[in-house]
Amino acid sequence: MQGGVLPFLKIMVVVNFTMMLLFACSREEEVTRPFGFSQPDDFPPATYNFSSNPVTEEGFELGRALFYDVRLSSDNTVSCGSCHVPEVSFADPIHRFSVGVGNQSGTRNAPALTNLAFRNFFMWDGGVNQLDFVPINAIESPVEMNIPLKNLVRKLNRLPDYPEKFGIVFGKDSIDSQQLLKALAQFQVMMVSSNAVYDQYREGKAVLTGAEMEGLTLFKQKCSGCHAGELFTDNYFHNNGLDAAFDNDSGRARITEFPGDAGKFLVPGLRNVALTAPYMHDGRFKTLMEVLDHYASGVKESTTLDPVLKQDDTIGIPLKDDEKDKIIAFLKTLTDRSFVGDLKFSDPN
Amino acid sequence: MIIKNSTLLIATFFSLSILSSCSDDDVTPQAGEFTLEFDSRAGDANLQLNTANTLYSNAKGQTFNVTLFQYYISNIKLKREDGTYFEDPMSTDGSKGFYLIKESEPGSEEIVLTDVPAGKYTEVTFTIGVDGNQINQGAQTGALDPANQMFWSWNSGWIFVAFEGTSPQSTETGSALVYHTGGYKSDPANANLVNNLRTKTLSFGETAEVEKGREAVGHILFDVARLFASPNQIDFSSNAARHSPASCQTVADNYVNAFTFDHLHND
Repeated sequence: MQGGVLPFLKIMVVVNFTMMLLFACSREEEVTRPFGFSQPDDFPPATYNFSSNPVTEEGFELGRALFYDVRLSSDNTVSCGSCHVPEVSFADPIHRFSVGVGNQSGTRNAPALTNLAFRNFFMWDGGVNQLDFVPINAIESPVEMNIPLKNLVRKLNRLPDYPEKFGIVFGKDSIDSQQLLKALAQFQVMMVSSNAVYDQYREGKAVLTGAEMEGLTLFKQKCSGCHAGELFTDNYFHNNGLDAAFDNDSGRARITEFPGDAGKFLVPGLRNVALTAPYMHDGRFKTLMEVLDHYASGVKESTTLDPVLKQDDTIGIPLKDDEKDKIIAFLKTLTDRSFVGDLKFSDPN
Repeated sequence: MIIKNSTLLIATFFSLSILSSCSDDDVTPQAGEFTLEFDSRAGDANLQLNTANTLYSNAKGQTFNVTLFQYYISNIKLKREDGTYFEDPMSTDGSKGFYLIKESEPGSEEIVLTDVPAGKYTEVTFTIGVDGNQINQGAQTGALDPANQMFWSWNSGWIFVAFEGTSPQSTETGSALVYHTGGYKSDPANANLVNNLRTKTLSFGETAEVEKGREAVGHILFDVARLFASPNQIDFSSNAARHSPASCQTVADNYVNAFTFDHLHND
C-alpha cells in the first residue's frame, strides 16, 4: 500500500512542476521585452525620464504603428508620418508648411525629429517641455490632425486592433491618453542619430576631406555660439535676425509673454541638416546656401537680435563664398545614412 | 496527534488576532475620512449654469451668465491642533491627490480624503491649480489626463480655473466671456514667466475631530462674482477672452479671494 502512495506523490510533484513551468512560459510571453535605448558617449545625458516610461519592444512597435496610422486624424487622412518622413530625418521633404486634414496648412515648418531624448524644449517656441506631451498639438490642431484627444481615445478603444496591443504593453483594461502618449514617446525616444560620417571621423573610423575639415573649423568659429555641442544646439532661444518685426510670429514670446523674447526661436540641432530642407521656423530658405547667405548678408536688426550676430558693430556673420561652401561640406558630414535608412523606424504597413 | 496540534495552533492564532484587534480599538482611534465639499455661488445665490438671462453681475455692474466653471485643487493639507499637518498623498502619474471640481458634475465637488489619522484638525490648505512641473513626470492620467480638456497643449500645462459665460458688455464673438487661467512651469533661465499658482488656507473656526466612524465635512464656498472683483475689477468690455498666463494674472489674484469656509459638519 505504502509503495503505491509514494509514486503517486511523485507523479503529483512532477505534474505540479510541469504546470508551473507551463504557467511561467505563458506569462513570459505576455511580459514585454526591454528595448535598448543606448546613450551615445559624446552626447549630453538623456533628459527623457525613462523610469516613468521604460521602452519595451512591444511599446516601441505600438508607438510605430500609431505614428503611421492615419486614423489618428479626424478624417483618416493624416498621420504623424505624413509630415515627419523617416528618409529625411522625420522632416517634411516637400512642404514649407505641412498639409493637414482638408488640405489646410499651418504657419510653421515641420521640424526634423532627431535625438529627442536629449531635449528640454520642443516646438519652435519651446511651448512643450516634455516629449510625451508633444503629439497633443498635432493631434488636436484643426489644421493638422483635428481630433480632440478625448475623441481619439474613444476611437482607439473601438478600433479592432489597438485595445489588445495596448493591453499587452500597459496592462490596463482600456486605452487612455496616457498610454497613447507613452507609446508614441517610446517610438520617438529611440530616434537617435549618432552614426554620421562626422561621428565616424571622431571615432577614427573615417577621414574628412580637406574642405570638410576646414568647414568644421569655420563652423566652430562662427556657428557654435548657438549650434553648440555634439547635438549642434544650445537647446535655447535666439533671434537670428530673420525679421525686424514679429507680428506674424513672436516665437518664444508667445509662451513667455515677455517682449524681450519676441523673434526668438528654439535653435534646431543640425544632425542630418542637409536632408531637412526647407529651413527656419517658417521654412523660408530652400537650401543651406540660402541659410548661410542670410547669416552673411541678410540679418535684420531688432531690439532682440542675438548679441552674437551683432559684434564689433557688424550685423551678421562675416562669411566669404568659399567659406560657405566649406561649412556646407562639413554640414553634409552630419548626415547619418544608417539612421535615415533604419527600417525599424519605417511605416510597418 | 498531528490533528490535535493543528487545532491548537489555529485556536492560538485566532485568539491572538482577536486580542490584537481589540487592543487597537481600545487604545488608538483609527484613521478616518475628511470630506471637503466645494459649492459655487454667485454673490448670495447658488450658481446656476446656462441661465437664459445674465442674472449675475461683476463689481462694475456688468451682468453675466456662466456656461462652464471648473478648477483644479491639489496639495491638500489639513492642519492639526498641534501645528503638524496631514498631507493628502499625490501620485507622480496624476491619479491621486489632484481633483478637478466641475460645476456641471456635482459628484466632482466632493473630495473625500481617506486614511486621515485620527485627531483634531483646525484648518485646510490647498493649491488652486496644478504645478506645471508635474509635466516633467510624463504623460498623466486621472484628473490630470489632458483629455479632460483642462490642458494647454501649445504651452504644456494645466488650466487651473476655467470660466466661460456671456455678457452683453463682451465684444467677443457671441458676447463670450472666456477666462482660462493657468500655465506655469519654472524655467531657471527665464525669470519672466508668470506664475498663477495660488495657495489658499481656510480656518474652520472650530476643531474638526477625525476618527473612524465619525463624519467630518468641511463646506467651502467659491463665489464666481469675486473672480472679477477684488483686488482687480475685471472689465468685460476689454479683452474678455483670455487664454494665457500673463493675461489672466489679475484673475488669479482675485480667485484666491473667492474661497471662503462656510461651515463644518462633525458628527
